[in-house]
Amino acid sequence: VAVEVHVTTLFQQIANGIVLGAVIGLIALGYTMVYGIIQLINFAHGEVFMVGAYGGLATYTYVLPEQFRDDWQIALPAALVGAVVISVVTAVIMERFAYRPLRGGPRLAPLITALGVSVFLMELVRLKYPDAKAPLPFPSLFVDGALRIPVPGGGDVVLTWIKVLLVVLAVVLAVALQMYVNRSRMGRAMRATAQDADTAKLMGVNPDRVIVLTFVLGAALAGVGGVLYGAYQNTINVDMGFQNGIFAFTAAVLGGIGSLRGAVIGAFCIGLIKTLGGQYLPGGTKYDYVWIFVVLILVLVFRPEGLFGEPEKVRA
Amino acid sequence: MNRLTSWVRPQYAMPMRIAGGVLTVVGALMAWATFIFNSGAYPGKATLQYFDAPFALTDFRLHIALLGIAVLVVGFAPLAGRNRILRGLGWGVIAMAVVHLGFMIDEGGGLGAVTAADSVAFGGVVTLIGGLVVVLAAAGGGIEEPVHLPTRMPRYAAWPALLVCFAALLLLVSYTLTAGGQGGVANPYSGPLFLSFVGFAGGIMAALHGAGVLPWISRLSEEHRAFSIVVLLACALALPFTDAGTEYWMTVAANIGVYAATAIGLNVVVGLTGLLDLGYVAFLGIGAFVAANLSGAAAAQFDVQLPFPLAALVAAVVAGIFGAIVGSPTLRVRGDYLAIVTLAFGEIFVRSAQNDIGGLTNGSNAIPGVPPVTLFGKGFNEPLTIGSAKLPSGVLYYFMIVLLVALVMAVFANLKNSRIGRAWVAIREDEDVARAMGIRTGQAKILAFMVGATLAGLAGAVFAHKLSTVSYESFKFLESVTLLAAVILGGMASIPGAVLGASLLFVLPEKLREFSEWRLLLFGLALILIMRFRPQGLVPDKHRRAELVGEDAEGKSLDEADVGQVHLPDLGPTTKEAT
Repeated sequence: VAVEVHVTTLFQQIANGIVLGAVIGLIALGYTMVYGIIQLINFAHGEVFMVGAYGGLATYTYVLPEQFRDDWQIALPAALVGAVVISVVTAVIMERFAYRPLRGGPRLAPLITALGVSVFLMELVRLKYPDAKAPLPFPSLFVDGALRIPVPGGGDVVLTWIKVLLVVLAVVLAVALQMYVNRSRMGRAMRATAQDADTAKLMGVNPDRVIVLTFVLGAALAGVGGVLYGAYQNTINVDMGFQNGIFAFTAAVLGGIGSLRGAVIGAFCIGLIKTLGGQYLPGGTKYDYVWIFVVLILVLVFRPEGLFGEPEKVRA
Repeated sequence: MNRLTSWVRPQYAMPMRIAGGVLTVVGALMAWATFIFNSGAYPGKATLQYFDAPFALTDFRLHIALLGIAVLVVGFAPLAGRNRILRGLGWGVIAMAVVHLGFMIDEGGGLGAVTAADSVAFGGVVTLIGGLVVVLAAAGGGIEEPVHLPTRMPRYAAWPALLVCFAALLLLVSYTLTAGGQGGVANPYSGPLFLSFVGFAGGIMAALHGAGVLPWISRLSEEHRAFSIVVLLACALALPFTDAGTEYWMTVAANIGVYAATAIGLNVVVGLTGLLDLGYVAFLGIGAFVAANLSGAAAAQFDVQLPFPLAALVAAVVAGIFGAIVGSPTLRVRGDYLAIVTLAFGEIFVRSAQNDIGGLTNGSNAIPGVPPVTLFGKGFNEPLTIGSAKLPSGVLYYFMIVLLVALVMAVFANLKNSRIGRAWVAIREDEDVARAMGIRTGQAKILAFMVGATLAGLAGAVFAHKLSTVSYESFKFLESVTLLAAVILGGMASIPGAVLGASLLFVLPEKLREFSEWRLLLFGLALILIMRFRPQGLVPDKHRRAELVGEDAEGKSLDEADVGQVHLPDLGPTTKEAT
């Protein structure tokens, strides 16, 4: 019997890891795109995710009329749109006023700025959003109940429907983004800028537009992630951006920073490392964060190009 | 600003100076607040209701009047660098007016607090306009080349001059520390009074800098280095004998000292070597936990009580070893990736400390009851009597921390001018070129991490005994950000900058009860704004800062440098090589 329980736990943790990986993936795509184009670790990207979640909550609480709150077909899209709008606006302001003036300058300055933006956004939400000093409850926004998948040995893996939606939506959005970047005109401009910004400029690409677009796409995905994360956790807090942002950065590096496919695969790896590490490695869930940081250090030291990235050119 | 100043023709400068000065004085003589606020009447008898004797100036209105009179005097006197002086004074007036107006509007709930149609409570607005007019007049008059005062003088003249200057500095520090008094509910206006005094002192300092006095002191003290160091140290040790000699201010000063020492240690890594360390506070934590465990506290893992110097030494060594471990990825990782690696190490430390790893940190219960340091049977937390002077408790810690900061400064200054220091600067400027020049960059970088961590470990040992409780909460990521903000605000690789930065960031929460809530928000904003507008910091290092300021931008922006600016002909042989 013990073995059966064990098998169920294993599969349940794998499922949990995939769900977490989907959230991380939605953030990691933004990290990897921005880094691919302007070689900036946008430290504040996790905060965009957090701001998105609060934007979704604000839309639900203050904008959505009372009678639609229980109707997920209206409430969920409304919250998503609100979140995306807030995230995108935040990211565009951030790019315009914090990062753009420093572009082309020394490398450390934008990183310190990004750190400042991150702390600033976190504190701004904490101080200015009503009651945000404590974790806030978040509506479920989707049908109740759960998907039960039987596993060999008799047990069930239980996934609430919002988690299923999250994973599906994350994969769909990632594929859509990949197609957009590979097929569309602006996508080509993005790839050109990532490869060689100066040459792209000579070919008629407007780098400012491409960079803003990159921030916008990343922020929109992060906003979607923020709402779905809140909906399945049923609670949000201002620290969620920092934590998940670091996970997402780790995922982007693990997958090879600049690679969209790598970011998603890296995110699922990180999700699995966290849940399985918390379950099976010494120290349990108390140390699950530590394993992610250990992976981050090992990847950066021994394989900075990640799983799918190209070997680094000389970095200044 | 530039667009504005282009309107001001030189021939308007004189009338504008006079107008600005008069407006400032008149503003100071007027009432500032129209009614009594909820927190009580505004200090300085500035409320209309109490405003019976306009010429009995006290407090901040006196300061503003003094600045206004200074503007008028300088306006008529044919001084060298007159417009530079005026510009400094004008900004001082503006800063003071903005601070008070902001607080009054906030307290009074709107513009009605500072203006009223039927009364004369326009003081703040008039003063603000006066300050702006002075700054415009200074710009319109044409900002001169920096004034260069000769320092060639015999020792019997130079030493007393330096003595007077440093004594003035001591008084300034003492006044600044006590300005507005202790913050809190009982004293709601400590924040604006303190900030306004900082504005006043800043205006005077900027004026002195414009007159060439501060650079002159800086060069003079450089020429009489040993004497200056002795006098400065004596001044720092004399602080308890001034108004600031109460238990509260000694505690504040000692806390600032601990963080200043740590910030200087961080400056070795970030400022000199150009490696961004986002997990630096972990070394302070390691030092503190090691010292706490060796102190004989009840919750300590080891049942030993080492004498403090020994414990501090062990703490420093252990932190240094961890520094080498954290620094080892620098062999393979560069730039922003390295920053993330250090962040990861910092997070691993906090997580482990929170979970009481190996029973060493006592988790969220912290290690309480770390005994105070004792010397000759006297606890450092007790009051001290020297002759007839009774000094408050905590003063011995203050003395110890002053010596610690002095030691750290000495280590930093000597390292900076040594072979390894020049190697660090070379790595900061261009690592590949440094390697090509024969510098063993790997060793040098690990050594930088080790030195920085050792200094932090030492500070951590003091921290543990001083606070008597060591908790992982004190070493979270945001503390690293705060330290980094201190270093960057003050100016990278600059010793006075690190001390100034640490002082600002740790005094403000003591003064402003509102500020403790807004602290981190403002730090974040400060990081953004400094990187955007003044990447070299408030007190820039004299070396070229290619890592943060472009080489072209450098000459121009360093022209604005406040203190510690050394003109090229005075550069010593060592600094020349490093530049």
